[in-house]
Amino acid sequence: MIRLLGLCALLALALVLALSVGARPVTPAVALEALRAYDPTNPDHVTMMAIRLPRLAAGLIAGGALGIAGTVMQVMTRNPLADPGILGVNSGAAFALLIGATVFGTAGESSVALLTFPGAALASALVFVLGGGLRGDVGPVRLTLAGAALNALLLSLVTAIVLVRQDTLDMFRFWVAGSLTQADSRPLAEMALIAGAGGLFALAIAPQIEALSLGSALSRGLGTKPRRVQAAALAVVTLCTGAAVAVAGPIAFLGLMVPPLARLVAGHALRQELVASALLGAALLLFADTLGRVVMPPAEVRAGIMTALIGGPVFLWVARRLRPGASA
Amino acid sequence: MSLDLHTSGLRAEGLSLGYAERPVISELSLDLPRGEMTAILGPNGCGKSTLLRAMARLLEPAAGRVTLDGQDIHRRDTRALAREMAILPQAPIAPEGITVADLVKRGRTPWRGLFTPWRAEDASACAEALAAVQMTAFAERPLGELSGGQRQRAWIALVLAQAAPLLLLDEPTTYLDLVHQIDVLALLRRRNREAGITVISVLHDLNLAARFSDRLVLLGRDGLVATGAPWEVLTADNLQTAFGLAARVDPDPVTGTPMIIPL
Amino acid sequence: MRGALTLCLLLLAATLAALMLGQVRLSPALLWQGLSTGEGPGALVLATIRGPRVLTALGAGAVLGLSGALFQTLFRNPLAAPDIMGFTAGAGLTIIAAIALGLALPMPLLAAGGGLVAALLVVLLSHRRGHATPPLTMILVGLGIGFLASALSSFLLTLLPHTQATEAQRWLTGSLAARDWGHVAQVCGIGAVLAALALAQLRRLAALELGEDLAAGLGLRVGRARLALAGTAVLLAAAGVAVAGPVPFIALMAGPLGARITGAGRLPGRMLAAAGTGALVLVVADLAARAALPGIQLPAGVMTGLLGAPYLLWRLSREMEKGEL
Repeated sequence: MIRLLGLCALLALALVLALSVGARPVTPAVALEALRAYDPTNPDHVTMMAIRLPRLAAGLIAGGALGIAGTVMQVMTRNPLADPGILGVNSGAAFALLIGATVFGTAGESSVALLTFPGAALASALVFVLGGGLRGDVGPVRLTLAGAALNALLLSLVTAIVLVRQDTLDMFRFWVAGSLTQADSRPLAEMALIAGAGGLFALAIAPQIEALSLGSALSRGLGTKPRRVQAAALAVVTLCTGAAVAVAGPIAFLGLMVPPLARLVAGHALRQELVASALLGAALLLFADTLGRVVMPPAEVRAGIMTALIGGPVFLWVARRLRPGASA
Repeated sequence: MSLDLHTSGLRAEGLSLGYAERPVISELSLDLPRGEMTAILGPNGCGKSTLLRAMARLLEPAAGRVTLDGQDIHRRDTRALAREMAILPQAPIAPEGITVADLVKRGRTPWRGLFTPWRAEDASACAEALAAVQMTAFAERPLGELSGGQRQRAWIALVLAQAAPLLLLDEPTTYLDLVHQIDVLALLRRRNREAGITVISVLHDLNLAARFSDRLVLLGRDGLVATGAPWEVLTADNLQTAFGLAARVDPDPVTGTPMIIPL
Repeated sequence: MRGALTLCLLLLAATLAALMLGQVRLSPALLWQGLSTGEGPGALVLATIRGPRVLTALGAGAVLGLSGALFQTLFRNPLAAPDIMGFTAGAGLTIIAAIALGLALPMPLLAAGGGLVAALLVVLLSHRRGHATPPLTMILVGLGIGFLASALSSFLLTLLPHTQATEAQRWLTGSLAARDWGHVAQVCGIGAVLAALALAQLRRLAALELGEDLAAGLGLRVGRARLALAGTAVLLAAAGVAVAGPVPFIALMAGPLGARITGAGRLPGRMLAAAGTGALVLVVADLAARAALPGIQLPAGVMTGLLGAPYLLWRLSREMEKGEL
């Protein structure tokens, strides 16, 4: 309980920093004032309402959703390297969004943004089947490489599209790394609802996923139907990743970093872990975004690049500890 | 330095192996003269393979040293040493699709410099090695298509082609059925008798080891139990010490070598 | 023997096709005229555009293929390749960094530096005292180094002005557009020296292939031999990256594909087949990337990505059946 409060405090700190730090620093007092009594002639208030708040909302949605997706993936595959970015689910969702934007000419429409869900669903199903994820006993190398292959394949396709349509280099930047900058043009409310639904669903099926993580034979003995639980877990991953990509683009490595930290806070009970993951994911993404605003002003570093730079060493640290082939 | 009978051959002096905090073997001294066929025996985990690896300079000792004809093997040039002693590890790795002939050729590595072409003596060493293991007819066959016994003979041909007078083998009979175990040991015995090659191997089967060896080295959990001729080593007392096994030792009715009958 | 002939014929056909096809189409007669006399409309295209482009592709493909086959044999794992293990990404990163920081150092040096640093990091990070390092751990750590290098590359891309960023992005994908004879001389010269160095070490590789213990028993200094071989292979990959960018999957595919085409079983044959196949794949990929969409020149890396990713997935399912992963 104390740890949970600590997490909430951490998130609150992230919120305050995200609201006040930036090219136009705003004190927390002014931020609060903008919320209570909005004055459209005060530039600080405009910054708050038009830029910082949507950005904050996007960070909360994407960070929380990716934290949940990462935890579900890692527990289900028993693979500490599972992450929506590494396994190509982010890329699948973003690819679908890019296709939609290319065909319909805009990425902001919520109807186009809905394309992230079939994209994420296809990508996650593909990578789990090809990586052997459905069998349960997956070596981390295989799943990670399957994700790398999927990422490479989609990257090639996107490069081709971008080069064919010369006007789309911004799309390419979007593809390479997600960011919270254009949050005001994204369908925040809809995606918040979907990500929330995904999170609730995850909480509901948490006991089944836990049983599954003991191996499919034992979980069958515990009365679960492995295929059905896997499908449900993939649905959670799809809902959460799709929503995250729709508001922030592909943010890599967040789903990798959050679960081990969440386990530190919440222990090995999946429901608590999921709550902690959502809080931690949101806090981490907001921190990354805020950090990206200050590392090299006046330019901003995209939040997705910041998470990748922080997450890369984490990946190495985990990979180093794994002894595939020695144990499996 | 005199090359009398005492310094000729492989010798361990106060050898300690493993890490300081968990030694596998400590303070072991052993004399293995040339021309003999020696089997190293002992229960699982007593450090048989570790000892063999150290004797083959694959493992740096924590203390003590291993000498060949009086010289510390870890101080010698590894390629020159490879011409004097060959080692066949327990699980060598076969490249996919390699033929027996190509495998055996690789045994000539220590005899070939960077730009030395394939010479007649290399070819004859390989041919001889293949003939010695009776695999000449299979030379062009891929290793993967052969039976387990044939494969093991191909590996032995590789170390024979190395033409070293001293041969170390780590469990050369494991994973083979009884017929092939005897086949491999008889083959090694023949090379020992006919070509005067010193053979030192780690073995599991006590009766086979007794039958095919001049000398046995029996290790227990706490180090060396006994070494010497089979009848000196395989006594009921020693077996009790090394394995915790109550056994009777009778002469084998066919060969007269010791035969272990567990009680 | 027949297999080697097949590969040579394929290479010849691909090279001729790559020289003839493109925005300006040359008939066989014009190609012959241009090649033999150095005159006519074909000669200009060949001398300034296609000749250097195709020869650079041949050279870069060959060094990448050879590098991949060396790694795969050294680690005894078909997934160990410089493009999977982050070495080409490291080489690419240093070049982007030099562009972003305005350093004018020769590309091969930069690429070699980046590749070697990446390799060193992989070795250091996957090593744990008192434990043997399984090749799969190295591959995983290499993947991580690759991720980190690409993240840093995209970070640096955001620092570049728009036009430079587009160019750098194209380069990072792996492209053979606008190569000149300097590139040809560079990759062929450096490649030839490194290939000779690699071939001189083949006997050591043959011993290492039998496992570390047996190799040591055969008189090899195992650590030193592995280091020298891996270093040579990294430099080979860097030589390719310096002229063609970090083209994905050539190194991964060339070895197994070459063995399949030629049926080569022996080590030198396998290495030559890998080099030839690497050259073949890159020339064909570049041709396909130029010819796939009329009026648009895609970078060759897009094509090798489209080819290589399914290959990697197929390979993974194969390894899965063999139960090795």
